[in-house]
Amino acid sequence: MMKMSSTKTLLTGNHAVAWGARLARPKFIACYPITPQTPILEKLTDFHMAGELDAEILTPESEHSAMAACISASLTGVRVFTATSCQGLLLMHEMLHYASGARAPIVMFNVNRTVASPWAFWPDQTDSVSQRDTGWIQLYSESGQESLDSVMQAFRIAEQVVNPVLVNQDAFYISHALEPVEVPAQETVDRYLPPFHPEHVLDPERGESLGNVVSPEMFCQHRKDIGQAMQLAIAVAQESDAEWERLVGRGYGIIEPYCCEGAELVIVTMGSMCGTVRHTVDEMRARGRSVGLLKVRLFRPFPVEAVRDALAGIPDVLVLDRNFSPGTGGVLHQELKSALYGMTDAPRMHGYLAGVGGVNVPPGKIEEFVDQVRRNEPAIHSVWTG
Amino acid sequence: MNEPAPAIWTTKTTEVVKTGSWRVALPAYVNPPAPCRNACPVDGDIAVWIRHIESQAYRDAWLTLIDNNPFPAVTGRICHRPCESPCNRGRLDEPIAIRSLERFVGDMALEQGWAFPGTPVSKEETIAIVGGGPAGLAAAFHLRRMGYAVTLIEAQPELGGVMRYGIPPYRLPKNILDAEIQRILELGVDVRTNTRISTRADFENLRSEFAAVYIATGATVPKRLPQLDYSQPWVIESAAYLEQTNAGDHPQCGAHIVVIGGGSAAMDVARTARRHGKVVTVLSLEAEPAMPAQSDEVLEAKDEGITLIAGAMLQSVSDRAQQGLQLTCIRVDFEAGAVPGEFHVTPIPDTTFTVDADTIVPAIGQDPDISGLHDLLEVEAALVRIDGQQQTSLGGFFAGGDLVTMQRFVTVAFGFGKQAATEIDRYLRSGTPARDLAAQPEVSIDVINTHYHPRASRAVPQLVPATERQASFGEVELELPLSEVLAESQRCFSCGNCTFCDNCFYYCPDMAINREKNGYSVNDDYCKGCGLCVRECPTGSIIMRAET
Repeated sequence: MMKMSSTKTLLTGNHAVAWGARLARPKFIACYPITPQTPILEKLTDFHMAGELDAEILTPESEHSAMAACISASLTGVRVFTATSCQGLLLMHEMLHYASGARAPIVMFNVNRTVASPWAFWPDQTDSVSQRDTGWIQLYSESGQESLDSVMQAFRIAEQVVNPVLVNQDAFYISHALEPVEVPAQETVDRYLPPFHPEHVLDPERGESLGNVVSPEMFCQHRKDIGQAMQLAIAVAQESDAEWERLVGRGYGIIEPYCCEGAELVIVTMGSMCGTVRHTVDEMRARGRSVGLLKVRLFRPFPVEAVRDALAGIPDVLVLDRNFSPGTGGVLHQELKSALYGMTDAPRMHGYLAGVGGVNVPPGKIEEFVDQVRRNEPAIHSVWTG
Repeated sequence: MNEPAPAIWTTKTTEVVKTGSWRVALPAYVNPPAPCRNACPVDGDIAVWIRHIESQAYRDAWLTLIDNNPFPAVTGRICHRPCESPCNRGRLDEPIAIRSLERFVGDMALEQGWAFPGTPVSKEETIAIVGGGPAGLAAAFHLRRMGYAVTLIEAQPELGGVMRYGIPPYRLPKNILDAEIQRILELGVDVRTNTRISTRADFENLRSEFAAVYIATGATVPKRLPQLDYSQPWVIESAAYLEQTNAGDHPQCGAHIVVIGGGSAAMDVARTARRHGKVVTVLSLEAEPAMPAQSDEVLEAKDEGITLIAGAMLQSVSDRAQQGLQLTCIRVDFEAGAVPGEFHVTPIPDTTFTVDADTIVPAIGQDPDISGLHDLLEVEAALVRIDGQQQTSLGGFFAGGDLVTMQRFVTVAFGFGKQAATEIDRYLRSGTPARDLAAQPEVSIDVINTHYHPRASRAVPQLVPATERQASFGEVELELPLSEVLAESQRCFSCGNCTFCDNCFYYCPDMAINREKNGYSVNDDYCKGCGLCVRECPTGSIIMRAET
C-alpha cells in the first residue's frame, strides 16, 4: 500500500463533504443553500474564492434549476457536484428522474432532514429514502470521515456506470458535529479519480443528441439499460471501496456486518444510528450478549445477495428506521422483508420506527429494543417506539 | 444540406417517432420584409446593405444600394428618411441612423471612383425621358441597366432638376450631385439639355420617334397666394430665388425677408437668405410639429437665427414706401386634409399681428406645368392621371414624380423612376406583373429576440456650429467617423434578413431545422411546432404559421 501525505484535522461533517468535493476537482457546481446543508456550499465558495477550487459555481433560483443546470453541465462532459437537503431534494424530484434517464453521472450530497410540514430541522431520512425509485445510486454515511471518503467513491461509481449518485448524512449528528477527519492528499485522490472524459458528450462539433421522444419499445429498452447499470453498480461500488481502502487504508464495504458471527440478534440500520448501535453492540457483547450490527451503506441498488449472506443463520433481525413511509412503515424494514423473502430459514424480522423526526435513540434505548424483540413474536408491520 | 441525425447513445436513433404529428403551427423560413424596406420609396434592401457595412464589405453595400437607387450620396444627405420612424430598433431604444449610413457608403463610392457595372445596349427600343430631375435620372439609370437605349431631354442647361436648382449646397454639395449624375451618364445616355418639351406637338413628335416616353417634368409652376400682389418688385418666387442663389447670384432684396411657407423649400430660402446676411422670418400656416419640412431642417434654421412664426396666415401687405412693408397676419388653426396638399385653416379671432419686412418670398408649393398635356392625356386636378403601372391614358406614355403625386420628396421621385423602368420594360415585353411585395406582413418588434441586441444609443452626426453656418454654404451635417458607422451598423436588427447565426438549427429540440445553401428549411416530419426557432431568431426571419 502506498500512502501519500494526508492531513488529520477537526472538521464538521459538512466541511468534510466540502473537502471531498474539492479534492474530486469538479468543473461545475450548481447549488442552492438550505439548512443544514448550507455550510457545504459556504465552504466550497470559500475554496473557490481562495483559488483552490477550479470550478464554475452557479447559484440558481431553486433546487429544481440547480439540478437542471447540473444535468446540462454534466452532459457536456464535465464533473459535476451539488448538495442539498429535505425540501430542496424534494423540489428536485422531477429532475432526479431526468438526471438518471439522461445518464448524467452527477454526485449530489444530501443532508437528511425532516420533511415539512410541520417545519423542523431534525435528522430524518424520509427525504432521501423516498427518492429510491428515481434511478440514483444511494449511499448512507456514518461519520464525517466516511462522508468525505464516500464523495470520492461516489464519483468513481457514477462515472463508471454512468448513473448519478446521492450520498447522505444525517442532519447535525454528522453534518454539524466536529470530529477528527483525515483529508487525503490531492495526489492520492488524483490517482483514484482520473480526469473525467466521458465517451458521450453533447457538443455541436461532435453532433450527439439526448432526450428525444421515443417509442414504447425504446423507452422500455432504456429502462432495462438503467437497470443493468444499477446491477453493475453493486460490484463497482465494492471495487471502488476496496481500491480506496488500498490507497488510504479506509474501507466501509457496501454493507458492513459488525459482530454478526454467531449473533442471536442483528440490528440493521443506516446513517448515524450505526454509530450508536455499534457502541451498544460493543457494550452488550462485553456483557456476553451476542448481538451484532448490519450497516447498510449502499441503499440503491439494494445489495440483496450481500444482505442475505450476512443474515443467513441469524435468528432475529431488528431493523431500525429513522424514516417513515405512511401506510407502510419503515422503508428499510420493507426493503429487508423484500430482500429476505423466500430465504430458507430466514430470520424473524422485527421493524422498529426509531428516531423518526429526530427523536433521540440512545444506547440504553437500543438495549431495551433488543430485550423486547427477544421476548416478542415479530409484528408484520413496523412498530412505533419512543 | 441535411445533416445525418446525431447519435443518441442512450436510445439510438429516434427517427421512427414523427413528432410532427403533434403540431398545430409550423415555422416558416420566409425572411419577411423589414419595416424600413416597406417604407422605403425605392424599396431599398436596407437591412442587407447595413449587414454588408457591418462586415466591412463596403463595395457590396454599395452594389446592393444601387440596385434600387443610383444616388446614395444624395439620399444619404437629403432623404426624408421614412425608413427611420418605423425602424423596429426604435421600439427598443432609438432607430438606426439609416440615412447617415447610406451617406457613408455613397461617399465612399465617390471617393473610390466606383463605376456602375457597364451594361451594353441589348434591346432595340429607345426610351425617351422628358425631365432630367430625380425621377427622370433614376428612370434613365434603371432602363440603361436593363439594356435599353435612353434619350434624356432636359429644358434647363444642366441635369438635376430640384436637386440642382432647388436644394442649396449646404444640404447637398454640387460636386456630390455632379458626380452621381456623371456616373449615370457614363453608362451611355443620350442627353439633350436646353430642350423644352411643352407643347402637344412636341410630345406627339416623341411618340413617333421613341418606343415609350416617360414624362417626369416635375412641378415648376409656383402656387400663388391670392392676398399677395405678385407684380410688386418686393415679391420673389421661392423657385426663382433658389435658382439664382444656387447659381451663386444674390437676388435683389431688402435686409428683412419674410418667407411664407412651412416646407423644405421655405426652409431652403430662409436659410440661404440668412447666409446672405438677411434678417429672416418664416411664416408657416402649420403649427411647428405639423410643418411639412423635416424637423431637423426647422431646428437647424432656428439655430441659425431665423424667426419662426408657426400657425399664422398672411392677410394683407401694406407698402409703406421708405419704411418698408408691413404684413398683417392672423393666428390660425390648421387641419391637414385626407390627401397631401389639402388642408383647412380657421383664423382665430382677435389674434391679428403685424410683421415688418422688405421682401416677401412665398414658398407654398408648386404645381406641374400641364399646359401642353391636358388635351393629350387625362389629368386630375393639377396632376397627370396614371394607373398603378405609371401609364397615362395615352398608350406608350408613362409619367411619374411630382407630375403625378403630391408626395414631393426626392426619394419618392427616385422610386417612381425605378418603378417606371420596370413598367416600361413590362409594357414593351408583355411581361407578367411584378410580385406583390405587400403580400407578407412585415417583421414586427414582437418577433425580434431583443436579448441578442444590447441597448446602444444611435449615432448622431455632428453639425457645423450655427455661427459658422450663417456665413457659409459649406455642408452643415458632417460625416460619421468610421468607428461610429460600424457601431451603428451593429445596432441593426437585420429584420427579416437572416444572418445564418444557426440559432434555429441548434435550439430545435427535434433536429427539424435543416441547413440549406441559402438559409434553412423546416422538416415537417419532426417539427412539433414548439416555436423555439422563432423565439431564438435575432432577426425575425422565421415565423410561425397556424395550421388547420
